[in-house]
Amino acid sequence: MKSREEEYKEIFVAEALEYYDALNRHISELERKPQDDQILAEVFRLLHNLKANAKAIGYLQISDVSHKLETAFSLIRNRELTFSDEVVTVLFDGIDLLGELIHNIDNENYGEADPVLLRNLDIIVDNLSDSTIELAKVQKYNTSKNLSLSDLIYIQIKKLDHLMNLVGELMIDRDRIISISRELNNDELQNVSSHLYRITEDLQYSVMDARLVSIGTLFNKFPRIVRDIAAAEHKEVDLELAGQDIQIDRNILQIMTDSLLHLMRNAISHGLEKPEEREKKGKPRAGRVSLTAQNDRENVLIRFSDDGKGIDLKQVKNTAIERQLVTADVANDLSEVDALSLLFEPGFSTAKEVTEFSGRGVGLDVVKNAIDSIGGRISIDSKQGKGTTFTLRLPTSIAVKGALLFEVDEIFYAIPLIHTEQVVSLDKDELHEVGSALVTDILGETVTVVYLHELLNADPSDMRLGDKRRLKGQVQNIIIVSYNNRKLGLIVDKLYRQQDIVVKPLRKPLDTIDLYGGVTLLGTGKVCLVLDVPAITRFYVNKR
Amino acid sequence: MEKKEEKKQVSGEKEPVAEAVAQNTKEPRAVETVPAKGGANEEMVHLIMFRLGSEYYAIKIGLVKEVTITPTITRMPRTPHFIKGVANIRGDIIAVMDLEQRFNIEPTPVEQGLHNPNVTYTLVLEAKDYNLGIIVREMPQSINLPVSKIDKTPSFLQDINIQENYIEGIAKVNNRLVIVLDMYKVLTQDEVNELIG
Repeated sequence: MKSREEEYKEIFVAEALEYYDALNRHISELERKPQDDQILAEVFRLLHNLKANAKAIGYLQISDVSHKLETAFSLIRNRELTFSDEVVTVLFDGIDLLGELIHNIDNENYGEADPVLLRNLDIIVDNLSDSTIELAKVQKYNTSKNLSLSDLIYIQIKKLDHLMNLVGELMIDRDRIISISRELNNDELQNVSSHLYRITEDLQYSVMDARLVSIGTLFNKFPRIVRDIAAAEHKEVDLELAGQDIQIDRNILQIMTDSLLHLMRNAISHGLEKPEEREKKGKPRAGRVSLTAQNDRENVLIRFSDDGKGIDLKQVKNTAIERQLVTADVANDLSEVDALSLLFEPGFSTAKEVTEFSGRGVGLDVVKNAIDSIGGRISIDSKQGKGTTFTLRLPTSIAVKGALLFEVDEIFYAIPLIHTEQVVSLDKDELHEVGSALVTDILGETVTVVYLHELLNADPSDMRLGDKRRLKGQVQNIIIVSYNNRKLGLIVDKLYRQQDIVVKPLRKPLDTIDLYGGVTLLGTGKVCLVLDVPAITRFYVNKR
Repeated sequence: MEKKEEKKQVSGEKEPVAEAVAQNTKEPRAVETVPAKGGANEEMVHLIMFRLGSEYYAIKIGLVKEVTITPTITRMPRTPHFIKGVANIRGDIIAVMDLEQRFNIEPTPVEQGLHNPNVTYTLVLEAKDYNLGIIVREMPQSINLPVSKIDKTPSFLQDINIQENYIEGIAKVNNRLVIVLDMYKVLTQDEVNELIG
């Protein structure tokens, strides 16, 4: 696979060639209609973009020639230079030179651009109407132009979605075939199926790779947005971006767009203090907001932090009591982490005033739902007076997920790895009945556990989640999952392996049943239910 | 392996409706045709008839994608009681529903000797935007009858509650009463939501 740098270069060349084609088209038209401002503006725009792109990637010759041409066209646009025959020839030559430079970007033997041509360009730019200096004849070197098509194509994301779905289906059938070939124990079939395995795997990664975009495509929109929000809020903001070149699935990034925007508005309107206030507190006048991305194993971590006033835990607790999310007794005993996770509860919003940009009653629960929907996680950390940090853990791909397989009451289940913390085997005696729940100690932390069989299959009128007698056997296999800073241990009957699964979403009429994130087919042809950790946690809390 | 033998056995007993359904538009072999009074020009409707409890029900054939011997069904805990679970039919994972439980119909034993009591059939229905399986315990039959034979407004329909408006009409087929269902109404989203709660 090519390095990212190589890929950027290819994208640049393809775009540059497109610009070059468009320039040729427009300038030919301009020759016929020299007074058309629209065409002039378009030529100007193309040259400007080309200059900027070339400069960014380090092709100074291209950016230099583009700059000269751009200047010439700006003079024409301002009627300081007429689009006369002589000038037209130089401009055509200039654009041809651009094309040549772009085509020879990898050619080390290409050398310098024709100095005569460059001087001609300088002459028309610098000397305006003074035509005493003769334009030197340029030797026409590219009389036989090659026609070439671009190496890049644009493709609708819909088509890639379809391709990804097909690959998913193919992977399921592949696993089935491998399982059958193992059963039949036929050498030839096994050879073919292992080859099939390699090809589909390659195909899967290629399709996944084709869907990746760099996070910068979203991050780079923020400087302008931040400026606008800050101006409306009369605040000063320094925005820090990092990790723009981290790659992520385009659809995941699309779903995260609104959430990041929401967090940004929150941070600036509610998190950061007014400049005067900040100075009084001994902070710099301008608030600092940073948005960083990094790879973390199979996931992408996005950190969003501000150095504002942080979250007032007391206010959070009071609001939660007011909105009847928790009782006053419970609220007082909540740990810092648990209290902060109240912010993600539906209907919670601490915004006291409604501004243009935030506080319209849409709270962090919307952000949380968006992240849940793609199987990601969000956590929050805040120090009063110091600032707030949100950490978003997102999968790189929607369709294929690492998951843990297990069995409860002879039904196969899977839980996406992004939600699992660890797997432990504990003796029944290490579980304790506390009230209507089972708890255990895991590395010094008290964790609630639940027998999944009881939670899923017991008659609702006879459900006893805190009764150890319902457990089978002495040793219990427990999967610790985590959601919204809360850990929950799920006792399962049998634990199987870790495996990449293709999650098929549930279709009507089952799509409203949120306990399941979808289904998948195992190599044996058996259906495996994919549990949705957020929903199962909520279900457990409701049942208690 | 076992399944294959079962299939052979089944097809020996009776004309398989499954094939007729698979070809959908072609003239099926096992079709009970009810003659129309008004002459040959009258519009006919093709239905798939099956038994629930002790009554006969029917749905329009256009909705039925295929009929198969019920495959292994994976139970889905915490779904409405009439959802038997999900099954893998040709790589497609679909929900399978038990209409007897859906309509609160007391199941009656299948006639001895006619069927292997352990075999049930699944009608795979193609609804507007999803597929759905329906379990029936006897081999469904295909019937052809004039549209006019379906009484769309029997007086009793006006008396029963709106909950049961999934009945499209009542037909008389060879002295047998057949309840024609409007499948789109059988499982509206609201009802599913209600039943989860």
